[in-house]
Amino acid sequence: MKRGIISKIVLGLIFAYLFFPIVATLLFSVATRWSTTILPEGYTLSYYKLLFSSPEFGHALLRTINVSFATVILSILIIIPSMYLAIVYYPRLEKLFEILSILPFAMPGVILAIGLIQMYSRGPLQITNTPWILIGSYFVLILPFMYQATKNSFRTINVKALTEAAMMLGCGKLETFIKIIFPNVLRGVISAALISVSVLFGEFVLANLLVGDNYETIQIYLYKMQKVDGHLANALVASYFMVILLMSLILIWLAFRRETEVRGQKTEAR
Amino acid sequence: MSYVQVVNIDKSFQGRQVLKGIELEIEKGEFVTLLGPSGCGKTTLLRIVAGLERGDGGKVIVNGREIIEGQNKKEQNIGMVFQSYALFPNMTAFENIAFGLKIKKIPTQDIRKQVEEIMDILSISGKENNYPHQMSGGQQQRVALARALVVKPDLLLLDEPLSAVDAKVRESARILIRDVQKKMGITTIFVTHDQLEALVMSDRIVVINAGEVMQYGTPEEIYRRPANKFVAQFIGTYNFLPSSLVGIGDKETEICIRPEHILLVSKDQFPQIGNAEGIKLYGTLENFYILGNTARAEVLVQGRTIIVDHLNRFEGPKFALKEEVGLLIDKKVCTILGR
Ligand SMILES: Nc1ncnc2c1ncn2[C@@H]1O[C@H](COP(=O)(O)OP(=O)(O)O)[C@@H](O)[C@H]1O
Ligand SMILES: [Mg+2]
Repeated sequence: MKRGIISKIVLGLIFAYLFFPIVATLLFSVATRWSTTILPEGYTLSYYKLLFSSPEFGHALLRTINVSFATVILSILIIIPSMYLAIVYYPRLEKLFEILSILPFAMPGVILAIGLIQMYSRGPLQITNTPWILIGSYFVLILPFMYQATKNSFRTINVKALTEAAMMLGCGKLETFIKIIFPNVLRGVISAALISVSVLFGEFVLANLLVGDNYETIQIYLYKMQKVDGHLANALVASYFMVILLMSLILIWLAFRRETEVRGQKTEAR
Repeated sequence: MSYVQVVNIDKSFQGRQVLKGIELEIEKGEFVTLLGPSGCGKTTLLRIVAGLERGDGGKVIVNGREIIEGQNKKEQNIGMVFQSYALFPNMTAFENIAFGLKIKKIPTQDIRKQVEEIMDILSISGKENNYPHQMSGGQQQRVALARALVVKPDLLLLDEPLSAVDAKVRESARILIRDVQKKMGITTIFVTHDQLEALVMSDRIVVINAGEVMQYGTPEEIYRRPANKFVAQFIGTYNFLPSSLVGIGDKETEICIRPEHILLVSKDQFPQIGNAEGIKLYGTLENFYILGNTARAEVLVQGRTIIVDHLNRFEGPKFALKEEVGLLIDKKVCTILGR
């Protein structure tokens, strides 16, 4: 009984610790003046209006969307078929995948960026300060998320048996992948993509060091705004938070649906 | 030339030989069962016949065409039902069954007709729109069977399709599979480790042990004339008795007698029945239990337990435990095993 109360208090404190900054950010983004009072003196949506009507914001957002989606799509096109081939034809390569997918965690962004700048700031492949280097480095950055999330999907189906069953019916290899394997790992791919996009939306270190002003992403824009106008920056953070929240909710929904489906399967089998 | 020929197939995994010089000939329309303990190489042999695995040596010919691993399976026209069924989870029962026909570019109306027909034969009509996870094990197994049958394969391969369903379903599925196979006249190789299943369903049985064919024959031949001790021990029950005990054959040979061929009689009756041909033994009744339609007695004769089976009739003789009884064996039913 006593224990229950203590754990509730601890949970409440943690929640407050996480929640207050967000509420404060939200409030500040709609406050007219807020310096000596506990709550803002007045409320306005003008910062949002300003933010969404600023062409600079629109361009930065578009750049981030472009580079994130390009990376995620490229990553899906390369990683999913590779994993499939590894599972069915070269099981030994799966270990290599596992190691590759942990490697990016071991490399701090700054070190990665300096290495990349040294490598790509002169020929033959001079791509620093272009979005291409961002796509390349982001590809590496999201590899762990793409790999882990889709690996679980591959685990839920018997990839090898399904492939052989399709082949026995005269189905070619590519067709088998497109018609049988991909639809069955699609949900994992979607959650991998959502996680990756939210990671990339928040990425600042690599973007700042590798392309900086030459390809101003939403995080670089935010960094600049913080120095100019706090209210505007907060409006930006609040909008960003909403987008991430939405993506997280979709993720939770996907995960929940999968769970109920699996449970449904088990009861059916009985 | 036989419809299916398996010629001198060898196969090793990591230096360990799992198939040794397998030879098989199967006629068109035959139902042949690969029977052996688990791990003896049945699945490996089936996969080589399917062209999913490459043998180290030898070849497989089906309907005059050599099966090559890795070659496009559209030409080869072999149907397969996997142990795990391997139904496509993202497709309904109908889509699963129609898959092979679609690959063959059969017109849509014909696909519908053929799928409905096979679903009717296998009594799974009405399940068209169910996904695999919405069906019972028995239904999934029939969908898997339908998916393999609907393309009218030259050869049907079944890898322990009944091992995952419960006993009642298994019994009816045996009959269903055999009926459909006969009706459609499809040459079939069936894999099982269950000897009863093999005896009930097969035209011929291949008994395999440790990657070698022990015997290839009809259920009758396999049961009556086991080629060696492995087959004798693996199929049904046998009493293995030294020749000295029954008084036939030379020394060192072993005599096998099925429990159902021994007659259990009361000691008083014993002298009057039987003839000169019969072997008469005395023993004590050690154990007695009911198996269902048969009953089994264990009789101790000169330090050896002999198993005797008889029909479990109500009016049958009654014996007490530890009672002295007589055993009557006809010499004709004694099998002398070749070494
Ligand atoms: N891909 C493989 N790699 C290594 N060993 C294998 C492989 N497939 C089968 N084996 C081995 O070959 C033997 C025969 O296996 P299998 O054909 O599956 O037997 P069965 O189907 O009769 O139970 C077993 O000892 C098994 O461990
Ligand atoms: Mg097997």
